[in-house]
Amino acid sequence: MYPEIDPVYDSDDTDAGADGANTIGNIPLDFYDEYPHVGYDINGKKIMRPAKGAALDALLESIEVPKGWTGVTDKETGLGVKLTDEELEMVRKIQMDENAAGYDPYQPTVEYFTSKTEIMPLSAAPEPKRRFVPSKHEAKRIMKIVKAIRDGRIVPNKPKEPEKPSFYDIWADELPPRPDHIMHIPAPKLPPPTHDESYNPPKEYLPTEAERKAWEEMDPEDRPKDYLPRAHSALRLVPGFNGFIKERFERCLDLYLAPRVRRNKLNIDPESLLPKLPSPQDLRPFPTTTATVYRGHVGRVRTLSCDPSGIWLATGGDDGTVRVWEILTGREVWKIQVGEDGEAVNVVKWRPGKEAAVLAAATGDDVFLIHPPIFDPETESATKDLLSAGWGYAEIVKKDPLKKEPPAKWTKPTSTQQDSGIAVIITTKHTVKHISWHRRGDYFATVSPEGQNRAVAIHQLSKHNSQSPFRKSRGIIQRVEFHPFRPHLFVATQRYIRVYDLAKQELLKTLQPGSRWISSFDIHPGGDNLIVGAYDKRLLWHDMDLSTKPYKTMRYHQKAIRGVKYHQGGLPLFCSASDDGQIQIFHGRVYGDLMENALIVPLKVLRGHKVEKSLGVLDVEWHSRECWLFSAGADGTARLWN
Amino acid sequence: MDTDPAPTPKVQVQFVTRHADIAVPPAPILVPTNLKRYGLSQIINHLLDTPTPVPFDFLAAGAFLRSSLDEYLTQHGLSAESVVTLEYVRAVVPPKFRAAFQHDDWVSSVNTLSADGDAPLILSGSYDGIARVWNISGQVVAEASGHTAAIKAAKWTPNGAGIVTAGMDRTLRLWSCDPESSAITPLAELLGHKSTVTHLAVDPRSTHILSASSDSTIGLWSTTPATPPPPPPSSLLPPKPSKKRKTTSTTTTIPRYGALALLTGHTGPASAVEFDGKDATVAYSAGWDHTIRTWDLATHRLVDTRTTQHPVASMCVLPSLSLLAAGSTARHITLHDPRAGASEVAAGVLRGHTNCVAALCAGGEWMMASAGHDGTVRVWDVRAVGSGSVFVVRREGGGGEGVTGREKVFAVEWSGVGIVSGGEDRRVQINETPTGAEGVEPKL
Repeated sequence: MYPEIDPVYDSDDTDAGADGANTIGNIPLDFYDEYPHVGYDINGKKIMRPAKGAALDALLESIEVPKGWTGVTDKETGLGVKLTDEELEMVRKIQMDENAAGYDPYQPTVEYFTSKTEIMPLSAAPEPKRRFVPSKHEAKRIMKIVKAIRDGRIVPNKPKEPEKPSFYDIWADELPPRPDHIMHIPAPKLPPPTHDESYNPPKEYLPTEAERKAWEEMDPEDRPKDYLPRAHSALRLVPGFNGFIKERFERCLDLYLAPRVRRNKLNIDPESLLPKLPSPQDLRPFPTTTATVYRGHVGRVRTLSCDPSGIWLATGGDDGTVRVWEILTGREVWKIQVGEDGEAVNVVKWRPGKEAAVLAAATGDDVFLIHPPIFDPETESATKDLLSAGWGYAEIVKKDPLKKEPPAKWTKPTSTQQDSGIAVIITTKHTVKHISWHRRGDYFATVSPEGQNRAVAIHQLSKHNSQSPFRKSRGIIQRVEFHPFRPHLFVATQRYIRVYDLAKQELLKTLQPGSRWISSFDIHPGGDNLIVGAYDKRLLWHDMDLSTKPYKTMRYHQKAIRGVKYHQGGLPLFCSASDDGQIQIFHGRVYGDLMENALIVPLKVLRGHKVEKSLGVLDVEWHSRECWLFSAGADGTARLWN
Repeated sequence: MDTDPAPTPKVQVQFVTRHADIAVPPAPILVPTNLKRYGLSQIINHLLDTPTPVPFDFLAAGAFLRSSLDEYLTQHGLSAESVVTLEYVRAVVPPKFRAAFQHDDWVSSVNTLSADGDAPLILSGSYDGIARVWNISGQVVAEASGHTAAIKAAKWTPNGAGIVTAGMDRTLRLWSCDPESSAITPLAELLGHKSTVTHLAVDPRSTHILSASSDSTIGLWSTTPATPPPPPPSSLLPPKPSKKRKTTSTTTTIPRYGALALLTGHTGPASAVEFDGKDATVAYSAGWDHTIRTWDLATHRLVDTRTTQHPVASMCVLPSLSLLAAGSTARHITLHDPRAGASEVAAGVLRGHTNCVAALCAGGEWMMASAGHDGTVRVWDVRAVGSGSVFVVRREGGGGEGVTGREKVFAVEWSGVGIVSGGEDRRVQINETPTGAEGVEPKL
């Protein structure tokens, strides 16, 4: 027997108190049925089985269940467990769903708010109405739901969709394309792999040793390809791709850093953009080829004019000569040198009207009125009478001292000049660049762009009188034209065309072609439309009833436009001549109906004049009746086109 | 052994002609379809049993047959069982260059006088204002200088004893001409036109001259002093003779006459005038106003006006066909029937010139020569309108003195001498055209 061990445990040992407690642990007591003890205490001493009564006691116990008997044997002691009265009461209450012991459900009420009405209440506010009416807020929420149900956004009693499997099919095809949206730009696709990316490419794709070395020495950024083709005899021998992460990263950088722009594809039929125009074949006649070339001028031919009878053509050029030609044969019939020491003839213009034949030619400051001796004696004497009628009048005017100095001086030519055909010399103060006759042939206007407020001068043939109609200058004047039948004068400055009423002496209208520098313009014989050619390559059609802005702008020339002309003899044609050596013919039909806009159809490009010193065609003029076009070129020729 | 070649397909051909002397039986003949002009010509020669072979040309559907019969059938969608009607004519030999006469200035008009038996004389009017008479060997027989401006038209008068010239000085001048003594004397100056006289017409049956002028009138003048014409209007007399121009050396004043009538009607310059081939009292004129007008010279009235599409620059009468050929500035020649009953539509259009057709001249019954500003003289067959020009005669002697060979041709006449033409290259060029009966083609 061992002496009782004093474990010298501190009192904090929980088991220490359980003196004599069984230490057998978690094993059934049945194991000790055959032994007199039921276990061991902490000291290893046997805990003896409690003495048991006789079988009769047991029987009695089974008949008369003592109060608190449970039929449960305490494991540690081997005695039956008996419950106290309190414990039994608790068990009963649990069984009967009654309150646990110690809780009194019927305690006296302690009122939180007193039920008594206070004499001085904290708030005397009457009960709000909303306490008695249905809630609007609720009604609103309910209506929202009702509306959603009606719209079908909420489906009541909707059958639940079967749940999708939540795993991810890595082998599945690409997701269905997203619906097209303005903000969604799909990522650009990688190019598909090529032969050299195969696991076993053909030999010709494999790099040689030198190539491999060069590739390895190259900076990774400079490499044309990120990989070297490699051959593996079988797919299972292909090693893992060690550059995978880097490659994915690069791709992500590409997608992230590269700006993506949505390019809008125009889904328009190009045919539908073209205007519906009649075919040029239906709009004949119009000039198509060179019929005659008028050779003879030395240097540029600057200007030409077809006489009113339509038989003679007058040209003027850099060599200072005015020449008259037979139209169809191209024979030079007559010529006169008017420009002294190489002064160019800037403009020639026949006087309208068949009763007399007067050719106005301007060179330098002088305007010559010439009657070429190619007409019959009757016309010649009529011409001479017409030109000499004003000498007397000029004498009278000279005596008037109050009159301002006229812009031009009318002088008689010398006898040799008279013999050669010159009848009158009008000397202005600046170089005359343009002449425009009034339709009756009594007046003509000259333009000298350098003349500022005296740039425009109007000369009267019958009185040998000149006057400048404008008091102040409104820009550099390029051209003037008379209206075909109204007493209007069109004055083109570099930017604007102003229309003046000569009878009322007032400005009627200012047209704004919108070009930088107008070179020429012409008025339609109907009087309501005009075409403007500009040095900035534009040809503009103005409808004066429509607007002060151009009705149509045509930019078909490559170089500056030098001249534009309408056909004045009844054919709906007009043309433009340019420094690119081309003349373009258009069909321009003007309808009498005010509601209908003019029809403009490009017909033909006439090429033939050579470009010399970046000058091409300098002047154009239509024949008075036929669809014949004359053009003066910088190459020293004039041409007839038909 | 040789195997027989596949039999060539044959087609029935009916040969017709308008010439009675070379007519063959009208019954259709089976002819191999691979035959061309040469083979067909041999057949006709065989049928006619000619001692020496004569070349023939064949017309089908308004054009010369230039391919094999087979190709012709397929082109026109004809079956090999149909009967093809072929018209045959004597083939025309291409004109051969014979001579060129150099002038000082552009040649504006040519006219030949071929009196029977005598050597032909060629009259040329030039832009230097001188009309020259040449013999066939290229010598100037006589010169007529008196015009103060370029001559635009020169013609022999019917009996061959005189010439009439007109030009840019607005006058017509009558000259008597004696080729033997090379003497040309001015007979009369005819005044009346107010602008360039562009064309003259002389009628062999009457003593009338017609002139077309740019002042849009047609002048009717008399050549004989037997019928005294009215004096010219005084306003048209030139004030004084120009000093610069070389005037006639004769000090005697030339009598001046006015026109029998100035026919007005044209609204633009008149460019051509012709007498009718059968009736001397009917004349036709054409002008830049797009019209061809018919005049009754007995009553001086405008009878008919035909409007064409383009300005007419030249005109000639095809007497046997009663047709007018009008050359336009729009590069083609139209055929018109001037008779009142005929429809307005032009009888045919001949295309080929690339510039204004300046002169026309009939040659023979169906042939015609045209001079163009494109520098060519073209020969046409009216029966083969679709074939274009039969021959193109170009200017010879190009390369000298800045002559490119593309100078305008202003005048053409087709007479017994051949095709005589003159133009901007300052030459009168003669191209021989042996007629079909005389000509021998080298192939046959």
